[in-house]
Amino acid sequence: MVSEKKGMKLENTVSLFISRSAHRSSEMNKTGSWRFSLPVYKDKTAPCSAACPTGTEIPRVEMHMSRGEVRKAWEKIIWENPFPAVCGRVCFHECEGACNRKNLDSAVGINSLEKFIGDIALSESYTFDEVEGTTNKRVAIIGAGPSGLSAAYFLSKLGFLCEVFEKESEAGGVMRWGIPSYRLPKNILLDEIKRIEELGIKIHCNRELSIDEFNNIKNEFDAVYLGCGLGASISPGFEGESLLEEGSIFLKRVESEKMSLDGQDIAVIGGGNTAIDVARSLIRTGAKATILYRRRKEDMPAFIHEISAAEDEGVKIVELVSPTCVKHKGEMLEIDLQEMTTGDIDSHGRMSVRPLGGKRSLIYNKIISGIGNQIKDTWHSPDQNNSKMELKNSIIDITGDTPLVYGGDLTNKNQSVSDAIASGKEIAIVLDLHFKGDSDIIDSLEKCRVGVNAISFEIYRGGRKQYKEFVEFKNVNIDYFDKEDRNELPQISKEESINSFNEVEKNYTFQMAANEALRCFNCGVCNDCDNCRVFCPDASIIIEDGKRVIKTDFCKGCGVCVTECPRSAMGMEEEKV
Amino acid sequence: MEEIRFHGRGGQGTVLASISLAKAFFDSGYHVQTFPVFGVERRGAPVEAYLRIDSSEKILTKSNVYTPDHIVVMDSKLLGSIDVTKGLKKGGWILINAKDMPKDLSKFKGYKIALIDASNIALSNGLGTKTSPIINTAMLGAFAKMMNIPNIEFIEKAILDEVPVKRKENVQAARDAFAKVMFH
Amino acid sequence: MNEKVMEGSHAISEAVRLCNVGVVSGFPITPQTHIIEAIAEHCSDGTMKAKYINVESEHSAMAAIVGASSAGTRAFTATSSHGLALMHELLHWAAGARLPIVMGEVNRALGPGWNIWTDQTDSLSQRDTGWIQLYCEDGQEALDTVIFGFRLAELVNLPVMVIIDAFLVSHTYEAVSVPTQDEVNEFLPAFNPRIKLDLENPQALNQMASPQYYMEMRKSMQLAMETVEDIYDEVEDEFHDTWGRRYGSVEGINLDADVVFVTSGTATTTCRLAIKDLTDKGESVGMLKIKMFRPFPAKGIQNALKNAGKVAVVDRNFSFGAGGIFAQEVKSSLCNLKDAPVVFNFIAGLGGRDITTDTFFEMYEKVNANDIPQTESEWIGINEQELK
Repeated sequence: MVSEKKGMKLENTVSLFISRSAHRSSEMNKTGSWRFSLPVYKDKTAPCSAACPTGTEIPRVEMHMSRGEVRKAWEKIIWENPFPAVCGRVCFHECEGACNRKNLDSAVGINSLEKFIGDIALSESYTFDEVEGTTNKRVAIIGAGPSGLSAAYFLSKLGFLCEVFEKESEAGGVMRWGIPSYRLPKNILLDEIKRIEELGIKIHCNRELSIDEFNNIKNEFDAVYLGCGLGASISPGFEGESLLEEGSIFLKRVESEKMSLDGQDIAVIGGGNTAIDVARSLIRTGAKATILYRRRKEDMPAFIHEISAAEDEGVKIVELVSPTCVKHKGEMLEIDLQEMTTGDIDSHGRMSVRPLGGKRSLIYNKIISGIGNQIKDTWHSPDQNNSKMELKNSIIDITGDTPLVYGGDLTNKNQSVSDAIASGKEIAIVLDLHFKGDSDIIDSLEKCRVGVNAISFEIYRGGRKQYKEFVEFKNVNIDYFDKEDRNELPQISKEESINSFNEVEKNYTFQMAANEALRCFNCGVCNDCDNCRVFCPDASIIIEDGKRVIKTDFCKGCGVCVTECPRSAMGMEEEKV
Repeated sequence: MEEIRFHGRGGQGTVLASISLAKAFFDSGYHVQTFPVFGVERRGAPVEAYLRIDSSEKILTKSNVYTPDHIVVMDSKLLGSIDVTKGLKKGGWILINAKDMPKDLSKFKGYKIALIDASNIALSNGLGTKTSPIINTAMLGAFAKMMNIPNIEFIEKAILDEVPVKRKENVQAARDAFAKVMFH
Repeated sequence: MNEKVMEGSHAISEAVRLCNVGVVSGFPITPQTHIIEAIAEHCSDGTMKAKYINVESEHSAMAAIVGASSAGTRAFTATSSHGLALMHELLHWAAGARLPIVMGEVNRALGPGWNIWTDQTDSLSQRDTGWIQLYCEDGQEALDTVIFGFRLAELVNLPVMVIIDAFLVSHTYEAVSVPTQDEVNEFLPAFNPRIKLDLENPQALNQMASPQYYMEMRKSMQLAMETVEDIYDEVEDEFHDTWGRRYGSVEGINLDADVVFVTSGTATTTCRLAIKDLTDKGESVGMLKIKMFRPFPAKGIQNALKNAGKVAVVDRNFSFGAGGIFAQEVKSSLCNLKDAPVVFNFIAGLGGRDITTDTFFEMYEKVNANDIPQTESEWIGINEQELK
């Protein structure tokens, strides 16, 4: 029998049974039944995030930056820190010290990338989202420095109404008056402050409060935050100390007046950042600067790169000399110095020094003390008689009708802008918890902990889930990373540096920034590299709505995905029986 | 059925000659079968090809040719090294590419001999070089004249079909040979 | 009728072009090279739309074809001898995966000694891989078999090997009638597999099968094999309707004769001439051509040979320690037949040694000289001196 249309008569109806994942034979491939542990996607804590006083989720910042998503990178930073452009310049970036990448070649330029991102945000006029809803609670903030302004920022985000009282003519505190503009240009700072102000924060300048005013404010507001910093200088404690100029005052003068000290020979006492800032500023006014320090150069608390930049610019450092007396010598000042020698390692792990016997005298046009500052008024610190919560970056006194919180340099061991920001964030969350009637503020705060010291505002607001599990270098699969030179920020010429207060470090180009961000391992953070899905031998990882999902019917728990995750953004969890 | 055996050297186009001749016979209404004897194919090495033609029946044998009816010798130098007449049926044709008749004709007793200076014809038509002239198409023209089959037009058509380059020159070489073949 | 004088290899290439094959992959090996060479030219000059995949070995060629066929594309490759041996693993895979691949296979001896001439041992060594094996006498049969081979393969989900003899078919020019594209399009519908890799319906094919399933998979293959003979006949009916040619899985001439030769490949053609000569001289002699070796058409062979006086199987192949491979299969298909004829086995033409009409005359005399075979298999034309 042949049909009319040839070739259509016969049909394939033979037995056709092969193994395949569809239909009957798929049952045998439900390898999920073999599993005793299950891979999970978990965003872990990267060492950089843990080291950052603000707890910024740096791996994700760099992930966005590497993709050229500057806005997203910035939005990630401002969850934890309202001052990216400032911190990108002045932060002592312990993140880089902790960076896993330094075990492969060198740390990622996290600080420089923050500067790049912060500056793009300013030039592109990114603004903070408007705050929705209010608590109707009013908080007075004393001091418009980094901690006060950060407190205002985070409190505003939580719906508090904030007023800031600043004794100086402009806001900024140490950022405005203590950090020279060759490190932090004034316009950058003012732009970032302005953006905070635009959240609806009132800043009252030229309002140095007396204790009476403070008491009035306590009655008027629902809470008071003291972040007014250390207003008094530490007395060096030797004969003739009144002949010295105080370092922070000098820096303020340099900021406000056009100063020329051409050819003058000026000494700076101290080894911290203030001393270095003073010395480098002196160079820029035409003076010759000499730092006198009682320990060794390697013991100086100043940032190492600042010390070498200072030396590079011509600052002379005399180590192991302790001033004993300053006196007039004609027009000049003579300083007597006790020569010191190294002793034992002290209990802080620091090399101790002791007098050696030898003495010498040096003559200068002027001598500036850069030793440090202390609390100016007793009411700037909490009442010793009240019970307090002593937190990592703040002290809380809720014994009275009005909660009093203290932070910034008033309480912090590390007196830095980043730690000050951490204080502002911490007290904002504590006050929010307090007014919400939280029964265990310490415990609630711990839930937002990143690493040891930092608190994440994003975690507090439920926007970021991060496991406390820490990514060590050994957890990174370095088979996936080649050695790449770190991109350093270009610098202006040395001549320009020492003859002006122009910012020494320029910025990355967009391409440099993206390249540098690409160096980031993105420790503990999924950056959609897709290795897990590609390597899964059972094709049990699929993408649903743009997210990777592990199909438990098929995942046999072999852990290949976890091993092949370059950045330890996955882990195995024991199967719940 | 008649069997024709080609003797040549690698590079002379012996196989192509037998294929072209097969096509010409096919177009003349014959059943045909041709295949090369494969061995160590190298330029210069002796090669053989077989052609079977049958004017009435399909060719029912798939074996080598042992007793050819005619032979074609593409290069007279082979006469000294190879027993070209082995198995050749008495009365068969021998077509030789040579300038002159071989001096000693005793070993070709009982056969009919045709001679063509195919190398010269090839060169005069610009086919190949003096050291290696491309003589296969000239041999085909000579074969057609020698056997009176196939018609030279079918030879020309086969050449046009089969030969990839210098078609006009090859056709002309066949025509020249058709005109110049000499008989002993 | 579009008849052309063409090489057997090119007859296969031409058939592949006409079958609208989508993917071809291959690796050159004498005497197969002309097949894929011509296809590659067709692909490059645009007369064939297939994707030609260059690979580094026959193993890879078959792997590429397995992939293409799994994705629902009609696919072809060709090989020979050592190339086929190298493919062995993937031959199992292609059949086990039930892929209707068609492969041209040119019978060539396996080394050592290095030998490029015809010998069936290469393809017969693959008899248990699950491929349908169809042996051809000449270029026409090869062209036709490729065309209905695709039809058959796609109806039974088994791969088909179209087998020709080295040189005697592959390099031999004869007249071949070439079908038109329209005729082939009508005979061979578009490839529409029941199972394929499909982006719209993703699934893994041919992964692990536990003991719970494997045996059913193999039984399924055998069930498909059991349908092949009938479907082959029906496909040939349709082929015959269009082109007037048919070959049969077996073909018999004068099967009631005193002596019936059993042949395959080009030995069949020469046998046709030999029995004609013998019959003309008054001898009682017949012939059975086996075209289909897998599945082995045992029923057809029983029917064909039940009235024969003696059977003489000519094997251009050998299974060491046993005998000629066709002879073993023929014997096993006759063993339960009542009054089965005795079966003589001759080994001839290995490694391209010529099989002529004289070879058949010699075998005919040997069969007539004995009532029953004196040895399991008798080697024809052996120079005993060489064996000392």
